[in-house]
Amino acid sequence: MAYALVALGFVLALNASGAVNFAHGALVVLGGAVAVALGGRAGLPAAILLPAVVLVLGAAGILTAHLAILPLAARPPEATFVATIALAAIVEQGLQLSLGAAPHAAPSLAGTGVFELGGVVVGRQPLAILVVGGGLVVAVWFLLERTQTGRRMRAVASDRTMARAVGIPVARYVTLSLGLAGGLAGAAGMLLGHQFLVSPTQGSDYMLKAYIAVAVGGWGSVPGALLGALGIGVFETFVSAAVGDGWASAALYVGVLALLMVRPRGLFGEPVGRRA
Amino acid sequence: MTGYAVHLVTLIGIYALMGVGYQLVFGHLGALNLAQGALVGVGAYATALLAPTLGLFAMPLAVVITGLLALLAAWPTLRLQSHYFALATLALAALINLAAVNIESVTGGANGLVGFGARLPHGVWLMALVWLCLIAAVVVQSWLFAGRLGDAARLLREAPLAAATLGIDGARWRLIAFAAGGALAGGAGASMAALNGVVSPEATGFAVMVACLMLVVLGGSRHPLGAVLGAALTVCLPELLRGFHAAWLLLYAVATLLVVLFAPEGLAGLFSPRRAPMASPEIPKRLPPAVGAETLALQCVRKRFGGVDAVSDVSLSLKRGEIVGLIGPNGSGKTTLLNLISGLERADSGAIRLDAEAIERWPTHRIARLGVGRTFQSRTQSVPLARVLAERPAFLLLDEPAAGLGERERQELERLLHRLRDAGRGVLIVDHDIELMSRVCDRLICLDRGVVVAEGAPAEVRANADVRASFLGVAA
Repeated sequence: MAYALVALGFVLALNASGAVNFAHGALVVLGGAVAVALGGRAGLPAAILLPAVVLVLGAAGILTAHLAILPLAARPPEATFVATIALAAIVEQGLQLSLGAAPHAAPSLAGTGVFELGGVVVGRQPLAILVVGGGLVVAVWFLLERTQTGRRMRAVASDRTMARAVGIPVARYVTLSLGLAGGLAGAAGMLLGHQFLVSPTQGSDYMLKAYIAVAVGGWGSVPGALLGALGIGVFETFVSAAVGDGWASAALYVGVLALLMVRPRGLFGEPVGRRA
Repeated sequence: MTGYAVHLVTLIGIYALMGVGYQLVFGHLGALNLAQGALVGVGAYATALLAPTLGLFAMPLAVVITGLLALLAAWPTLRLQSHYFALATLALAALINLAAVNIESVTGGANGLVGFGARLPHGVWLMALVWLCLIAAVVVQSWLFAGRLGDAARLLREAPLAAATLGIDGARWRLIAFAAGGALAGGAGASMAALNGVVSPEATGFAVMVACLMLVVLGGSRHPLGAVLGAALTVCLPELLRGFHAAWLLLYAVATLLVVLFAPEGLAGLFSPRRAPMASPEIPKRLPPAVGAETLALQCVRKRFGGVDAVSDVSLSLKRGEIVGLIGPNGSGKTTLLNLISGLERADSGAIRLDAEAIERWPTHRIARLGVGRTFQSRTQSVPLARVLAERPAFLLLDEPAAGLGERERQELERLLHRLRDAGRGVLIVDHDIELMSRVCDRLICLDRGVVVAEGAPAEVRANADVRASFLGVAA
């Protein structure tokens, strides 16, 4: 579920800017780090912590838009790619300096206990992840599909020139999308940070997972990205359980390479005419 | 020189070697390859594994192995578009890293390999070797890309479709560049192994890739000395900023971001005078005779997009020395038809022939090399037209050449078309200027919803009731 949040933020940023935001993984880690700082050191309770992390990372997303995406809108997509890779390195090194290389655990959302639900033992944290993650996905869906703001965001995503022609302030909506993507990255970072600990160099791994989810699910398709992310989560869980982590990851990458060979436009294809 | 200075200079050479290889793929072809760092690691591991038995010869062999691996990896990824290419190379790099960590019996796992370096070059010898290779690579590369090859690479990078219709085989270019870039990465890795005497999985990690990308962007991704400058900064900056511990990497990333934003040609680009824009090609005064097929013929060609027949059962033929006009309302399939002929789209059924040769399955660049040139709808047409004519095609497909032209330019275009006919070229034009088309074309073909509704002499076609209703907007 947390992967789904990572992929969702990634695909929102992708659609808005028309280019891969490579800093997205770093933002996820930053979200975890902010959760560590605010929750662990400042001691905020979980109920305030999550919104606080989302807000801080939303601001980081907006900053990303202004630093590395909007100024490069007229350049080839590779320029944005490189700029966001540099940004990811900035975040990573910044965290390295402030936190140190050792991993930290982000505070949990709902305590660490387990309880029984209809005879099944359920951990409180996984359940909280499911509820919070699911809630955020539904909220984003509502925003995109049911509000005027969301309609405009989709308009900007599908055709920037046309959106500008009908009077939508494109830059503002790109910024908004990146802010939203940042907020989702923050939530994902906090949730993943408790489960897998926060360490500065994890960003590229999250990034790769989100990238794969989006490529598998159809470039730029929001439901496709969610499905892709859930698929990766399920795949990792079961294959790691069967053959171990290393082989599971290897199988995933080989699978992606094979997929790209057979279907150069992703599993479900992509909307005609879209170019990243 | 002290041993420490030799170490630093060698390291600069190694980084620059990796960067020069990366410039080939990323700088000149604009393909975002994210496996270069991992390929350096492959070179290092290959050297470490082979050195105990082969000694010095492990290094050239490592270069060959890495180059071959790059070739193997490039083969299936050639067709991929930018973002999928990046993903595929990223997945490849992740795989190499996993192999380095997990196949302990070969790679030594997380501890890596040590104690293989006794027979590899050291010190000044290694420095000389690295810099000789680097100088050779830089000289060869700047010599190669200075001329026509450089222009072709630029076209391929900035307008891949136009490049294909001019007969440039993008896939082959990428293959060669990727293999050569991989071989240089292998050389860098081999030297790195010799320099350090240790190879560990970090050599294949993403950090190496990021460093490589940043040094090339910082120095200048196309400038001949860009990689060397970037490498010098990468190695010297941490030495200068010793007091700041790891902060130099942060500073480095900030500098890279600033360079991407404000100096797209890199730092080397700031020092060298800005290259004058290429002189626009001019339409030649004399049109030499073109060689090639005599007839271009389409037979029952059909193309569907989703549920819509964009082109259905169209048959037509075009001879050398003939001008045929394609008219029809917007969305009637005119441009799709041109795309089918030049191989940018694949026909679902039907045959397209140049004389007896069936070309409907051929890639765009091969069709172009057989003498079918084309232009695209764009604001200015004289430069693309001149570019296509420079390839001396037997057949020309022109997509709205008169759009956006003033009256005088239209007359020039008309004269040019007559000259093309006299020089034995076959021309297929799509345009909305029915008066111009009637004056220059020998025949007009009117399409409506993908179907030929009328064909014949201009006056005949214009008098046709269907054409008047569907296209000319006159009630029948």
